[in-house]
Amino acid sequence: MSEKYIIQIKNLTKIFGDGVEIKALDDVGLNIEQGEFMAIMGPSGSGKSTLLNQIGILDTPTSGTILLDGVDVTKMSDKQRSVTRNKQLGFIFQYHHLLPDFNALENVMMPLLINGVKRSEARKTASKMLEEVGLGDRMKHRPNQLSGGQNQRVAIARALVNKPSIVIGDEPTGNLDSKASDNIYELLRRLNREHNQTFILVTHDKHMAAKTDRTIQLVDGKICEDSRNGNGD
Amino acid sequence: MFELDVATRHIKSRRRQTLFSVIAVSLAVGIIIIFMSMMGGYTSILIDSTTENQAHITIMPKEDEDYIHLYHGLENHIYDLEGVEGVSSYFQGEAALQYKHNAEGVLLYGINPEDENRVVNRDKYMLAGEFTSIENPGSRIVLGYKLAKNLDVGMGDSVTAQIPGAEPIDFTITGIFQTGTPLDETMAFVNIERLQDLYRSGDVITGMGIRLSDPYASEDLANGIDRETGYDAISWMEQNAEILTLLETSEGMVYFFYIIIFGISGFGVANVLIMIVMEKMGEIGMLMAMGTSRRSIMLIFLLEAAILGMMGVAVGCILGYAASAAIASIVIPVPPEMYFGMDHLPIVIEFKNFISASVFAMVINIIAGVFPARRASKMDPVEAIYSV
Ligand SMILES: Nc1ncnc2c1ncn2[C@@H]1O[C@H](COP(=O)(O)OP(=O)(O)OP(=O)(O)O)[C@@H](O)[C@H]1O
Ligand SMILES: [Mg+2]
Repeated sequence: MSEKYIIQIKNLTKIFGDGVEIKALDDVGLNIEQGEFMAIMGPSGSGKSTLLNQIGILDTPTSGTILLDGVDVTKMSDKQRSVTRNKQLGFIFQYHHLLPDFNALENVMMPLLINGVKRSEARKTASKMLEEVGLGDRMKHRPNQLSGGQNQRVAIARALVNKPSIVIGDEPTGNLDSKASDNIYELLRRLNREHNQTFILVTHDKHMAAKTDRTIQLVDGKICEDSRNGNGD
Repeated sequence: MFELDVATRHIKSRRRQTLFSVIAVSLAVGIIIIFMSMMGGYTSILIDSTTENQAHITIMPKEDEDYIHLYHGLENHIYDLEGVEGVSSYFQGEAALQYKHNAEGVLLYGINPEDENRVVNRDKYMLAGEFTSIENPGSRIVLGYKLAKNLDVGMGDSVTAQIPGAEPIDFTITGIFQTGTPLDETMAFVNIERLQDLYRSGDVITGMGIRLSDPYASEDLANGIDRETGYDAISWMEQNAEILTLLETSEGMVYFFYIIIFGISGFGVANVLIMIVMEKMGEIGMLMAMGTSRRSIMLIFLLEAAILGMMGVAVGCILGYAASAAIASIVIPVPPEMYFGMDHLPIVIEFKNFISASVFAMVINIIAGVFPARRASKMDPVEAIYSV
C-alpha cells in the first residue's frame, strides 16, 4: 500500500558537474513511513546531504521522482516548492542558522509569519514551542546570548513550529559535545513520539544511529544497507 | 509583513553601513536642493529684471513701413484689452550728442513720461533730476549716466543734438538715469512731440510698449494683437529668446549634474546592500528553506533600499532647507548695482524642489537596490546554507 508512505523515492539520481561529472546519488529508491525516526549514515561524500536536500526540495534531481505525501515534488513550481517547504518540512542544520538580529521567540515565529499567521497567534504558538524544547526562560535572548546547544534547541523549535510532517536534520548535533548531543537526540526522539512526525537525521555517530528506528547506509550515492534497529514501539 | 521586519532589523544591525549610505543620499539630496534654490533664484532675478526693465510687448510698424500712423486709436484699443496695465507710444531715432569736443551716438526716445512710467518704471532708475521733466515739448533731455560721463556733462548742462536732415539743436540735461544695463551708455529720452517735430514726421510713432499684469501672458496676447491689427507685436520672451534658451540649456546641464550626483549616491547604497547580501547568505538560504519565496527575498532588499533612501531623503531635505536659508541670509559685500541691485544672493526655496529631489533620490535608490535584491533572490538555497 503506497498510501502509508509519507516519502516515496524512486530511481533518484543526482549528478553534479561542470566538466567532471559526480554522481552524488545513483538510482536511489527509498520508502519512509509516517512517524519513522531514522538515521542516514555513510562516509563523507557519500551523498547524505544531497539526499536530504532532495527530500527537502531545496535542490532538484537529475532524474527520478520524490513523492511527499503522494505529491511529486520534482514537478513543482518555485512558488509551490516554497509553500511546501514552509508547511510540510522542517529543517535543522549543523549550524543553527538562526537570524542573528532576532531573539529566540522571533526566530521561532518566523515560519509562522512567512505562512501568513497573525503575529499575536504566532507569538503564542512559538512560545509554547520554545517551552517544549526547554527554553521557556530564554525567549528574549538573541543567538549570540545563547549556548550552542541552546541555539540548536531554538532551531529545532523553529523547524517544528509549523507542525511539518517531515523533519530533516543534517548532522544536527555535529557542532555539539556528546552530552549536549545526547540531550538533543532525547529531545528529538520525544518530539517524534509526541507528534508522530517523520524524522530523517544524518549522523556520523553510530551510537546515536543505533537509538533510531531504522538506519540506512549510503556509499557512493547508493543505499547499501537498510536496517531496522528494534527501538520502535 | 515579515519582509519589513527582516529589512528593518538588517538596517538596525548594520549601523555603520546605514550611516554611510544615509550620509551619501542626504548629501546628494541636500546639495541638489541648494542648487535648485540657487538656480531658481538666479532665474527669477533674471526674468524679473528683464520683465521690469522692458515692455512686455512691443508693437512695431507693419512690414515695409517705417511708422505706425493713426496710433491713438490703436493705443485706446490696446488699453481695453484684458491684463494691460500700461501703453506707451514712442518715436525713436538715431542722433549724435555733442558737448564741447565730445560726441556720442545715441538712440533718442521721444516719449510721454507719464505713459512710459506705466510701462517701465523709469522714475525708479533716476540718479538725478526728474524723468517727468520732459513732460512738455521743450528742449529738455534725460540721459544715461555713462553717456553723461562719456560726454563729460552734468545736470543743467546743454548738449547739442545732431539729427540727420535737421539743424543742430541744444537740449538741457534735466535728468540722469542708471539701469545697470548697456542702455546707460546709449539711451536718451526727450519729449515725443518735440522729437516728431525735429524729424518732421507728423503725428506718427515708430513703436509702442505695453505692460501686462502677468508677464507670462505676453506671448499669447502678442500673437493676438499681431493677427488682429497686422502690426508686428513682439513679446519680451521672443525678444530675449537667447537668454531664455541659455537658461534652458543651463538647466539641462544642471540636470545632467544632478544625475551624476544621484548616481554616486546610488552606488553608495548599492554597495551597502551588496555587502549586506553577501554577509547574510546563510540567513537568506535559511529563509528560503523556511519557505520564503524568491519574491519575498527580493522585496526584503528592495525595502532596505527604500528605507535607507527615505532616511537619506529626510535628512537631506532638512540639510537642503537649512543650507539654502543660510545662504539666502548672507549679505553680499559688493555694491548692489553689480548684482541687479541685490544685496543678498538670490535663493528661491520652493516646495516642489524638495518633492522632485526626494522622488528622484527614491527612484535612484530603488534602482540601486534592484541589483543586490535580484542577486539575493537568485541564490541557490543549498549553496547559501552550506556557505557558512
Ligand atoms: N554543489 C555541488 N557541486 C558539485 N559537487 C557537489 C556539490 N554538492 C555535493 N557535491 C558532491 O557530491 C558528493 C556528495 O556530497 P554530499 O555533500 O551529499 O556528501 P555527504 O555525504 O553529505 O558528505 P559529508 O559527510 O562530508 O557531509 C560529493 O562528492 C560532493 O563533492
Ligand atoms: Mg553532508
